[in-house]
Amino acid sequence: MISKINSLDLWKIVPVIIFIIFVSPVAIVLSSLFGEFSKNWLHLIEYVLSGYILNSLILVLGVSIITLVVGVGTAWLISNYKFTGKRFFEWALILPLAVPPYILAYTFTGLFDAYGSANNLVRDLFSLQDSYIFFPSFRNIYGAIIVFSFTLYPYVYLASRMAFLNQSKSIIEIGKVLGLNKIKLFFKLALPMIRPAVIGGLMLVIMETLSDFGAVDHFAIETFTTGIFRTWYGMYDLQTAMQLSSLLLIFIVFFIFIEKYSRKNISYTAKSSVYGEVKLIGVFGVNNILCFAACALPLFIGFILPIIELLNWTYNYKLEFFSGAFIQNSFNTIYLGLITALICSAVALIINFSIRFTKNKFLSFLSSSLTIGYGIPGIILAIGVMKLLTFLDSNILSYYFNIVLTGSIIGLIIAYIIKSYALSSSVIDSGYQRIGSNMDDVAITLKNSGFKLLGRVHFPLLKTSFLTSILLVISEVIKELPATLILRPFNFDTLAVSTYIYASEERMFEAAAPAMAIVLVGLVPIIFLTRTIRESRPGSQIKN
Amino acid sequence: MKRIYKILSTILIVIFSTEFIFAAEVNLYTSRHYDTDDALYQEFTNETGIKVNVISGKGKALMQRIRSEGMNSPADVFITVDAANLWKLQKDGLFQTLSSKKIINTIPKNLRGPENQWVAIAKRARVIFYDPMKISKIQIRNLSYEDLSDSKWKGKIAIRSSNNVYNQSLVASLISNHGVEETENWAKQFVSNFSRKPQGNDRAQIIAVANGETEIAIANSYYIGLMLSGKKGQKQKKAAEKVSMHFPSQSGRGTHINISGAGVLKNAPNSLNASKFIEFLISNKAQKHIIDNTYEYSVLSDVKPNQIMSQFGTDFKEDQTSVSEYGEFNPEAVRLMDRAGWK
Repeated sequence: MISKINSLDLWKIVPVIIFIIFVSPVAIVLSSLFGEFSKNWLHLIEYVLSGYILNSLILVLGVSIITLVVGVGTAWLISNYKFTGKRFFEWALILPLAVPPYILAYTFTGLFDAYGSANNLVRDLFSLQDSYIFFPSFRNIYGAIIVFSFTLYPYVYLASRMAFLNQSKSIIEIGKVLGLNKIKLFFKLALPMIRPAVIGGLMLVIMETLSDFGAVDHFAIETFTTGIFRTWYGMYDLQTAMQLSSLLLIFIVFFIFIEKYSRKNISYTAKSSVYGEVKLIGVFGVNNILCFAACALPLFIGFILPIIELLNWTYNYKLEFFSGAFIQNSFNTIYLGLITALICSAVALIINFSIRFTKNKFLSFLSSSLTIGYGIPGIILAIGVMKLLTFLDSNILSYYFNIVLTGSIIGLIIAYIIKSYALSSSVIDSGYQRIGSNMDDVAITLKNSGFKLLGRVHFPLLKTSFLTSILLVISEVIKELPATLILRPFNFDTLAVSTYIYASEERMFEAAAPAMAIVLVGLVPIIFLTRTIRESRPGSQIKN
Repeated sequence: MKRIYKILSTILIVIFSTEFIFAAEVNLYTSRHYDTDDALYQEFTNETGIKVNVISGKGKALMQRIRSEGMNSPADVFITVDAANLWKLQKDGLFQTLSSKKIINTIPKNLRGPENQWVAIAKRARVIFYDPMKISKIQIRNLSYEDLSDSKWKGKIAIRSSNNVYNQSLVASLISNHGVEETENWAKQFVSNFSRKPQGNDRAQIIAVANGETEIAIANSYYIGLMLSGKKGQKQKKAAEKVSMHFPSQSGRGTHINISGAGVLKNAPNSLNASKFIEFLISNKAQKHIIDNTYEYSVLSDVKPNQIMSQFGTDFKEDQTSVSEYGEFNPEAVRLMDRAGWK
């Protein structure tokens, strides 16, 4: 029997141990700041750094605005109105999440370059001269903003949709009674109430945008990330490259703390459990068309368009789709995704539970530091993981066990967990926000503590969040590329790796088959996700 | 809790069971990613019974992995598409001297690293592509890289971003011959002659010439071979047919050459197999395979370029600047291109 005091201690110790493992690669990257600053810094500051920062800021700003408008806007329409295709868009709007930004970037250049398929089509249709160019080039920062916005808006959409679903209907009703019109209702009541959820989603979008390399490299835009790689690959200066990524992280931490501070002491959980049935407002005529178009556009840009182009490539080059290697790679991808998702979600659940149960400030700090792992460019993170593994190998494991972690799947899984903890944690955290703390008090009074409280009380209530977390992590792992490339074992390819291998030589047509597969495999968790969200409505939970 | 332990231990067993150990093997870290190379490795296994285990990735990242793995590194052979990377690994003391007489006797000295720590396995030239309808043979004859800073080329040159290692090596070779200051002046003029912001890969530059977006482009030689072969589709083949190829600096230092190269790592657990593997790569048969599939140039003088490539000439003058210099001057080249505003 574990006494009450011991069990409380256990909830402090276990997460701390888990954390030491997972935070250390992040810490290794950050520790570069305490090392020497090379002369390359002078060069960077004088010639390029301001450009990197400016471009990154423009990118983040542009992407934030578009994802907010698209994500919150569509979620609001779906949650409140009844229009043509509403039931379809409700889940279809998440589909772009299956398309990694780098694949959207590849297909966009395939479509809109001077002699891309879209321009060729226009020329063929209207029998115009070869020199006529209808669509402008996408290889610039605006193109990059569009690429990131339309692959990442689902994070904001998902967060807003869940928040709108859980929003107390009565407050909105009161607003109506008090005479607020539709627009005021949205800006004065609905939006402020879902703010934490939206910002949580937006943080994910920003971190992913800042850490991406594939898309910005393809468009040849000088951002912080391309600068990191240029410094490492071109100037052979890994130390400075790691310092640059640390600066990026500090930047992200700054954002996180501002956000945390700004919602301090404000509780967003509805005290009353009067949710009521959500009554959808029917829209007709022009408004109906507008609603339809507003939902169809992001889906078209972020999902349908790239799929059409990938199909075009696959068809024109008569690619062998189901070769042995292809099936093996798909298996590897799914297998890694599942393992990582289970471990990562379990870790996030335990950590968030511990934070709630023990109210430990230090733990909550650690959780935030692991969250920023999402903002580290994959390959820099991989270096941190590599250093951790070689340290463990040469100092501990080779003495006591005959195991070498370096070059095993463990390294990959650790990297993925660091990379996707932010996803899990944000989903589970927002799940916890909805469980009133009086529930815990009741449970503890009934002598349900520690594991029992988690297992019997919280877990059933968090089932939806837990599943959502698993699905989001799987779809993230399927898409992950740079860390996979460098940490994987011999002869171990994933779908993203084989896409990269073709795409790095810009053999896009051959990259089409694995790219399609990434999208298709990524669809599976997303389709589950849509079911989960529908069931997450408070009303529907009561029914089971 | 018991159930959690059960699940965890099952996961661990599954993870470790995917690691197989083979008796005869060679472990390859490579930044060359060609499908056809896989067929080549299979051929080696068929001949020798030695299994080739492969990790492919970015050159610098693989090098970091080798460094980080240290004594425990399973890597036997490292292959990369740029001489600068080979130079860096050698400088860090991670290669061993190749002892195979067969390798040393087959490969000419200028294609071997100092102290025979690595050898070239294929060559590529960085050449000029031009539109023969706009530029006459006489205008292009004797044109050198240095000449491209002339203002008569204003708005007429396309080249990819300076992030690309081929461009970094080219500028490093110029620094090695002319010094930093002169090269920087050249680069500033050269950049002001660009017809567009650097974008796309080498093939995109060739297509820009075919489409009339630019008059001349700098790109690696083998891309035109790939395009003309029709393997990249009819559109690219048609585009390539509109373009001519010129070997720069024939009356001067010669055309800039870069290599794919291989070396055996210091801590290689299977160094004997590694040596056999490199011997195989430079055999006539393997060389023929490489040039017929990738349209590079062979490191053996008796293996002639593929037919598609030989139409552009087979005996051009090569720049003899030591490929090791590329590595040494690479960081300076990158900073120089930043200063010159080469995006």
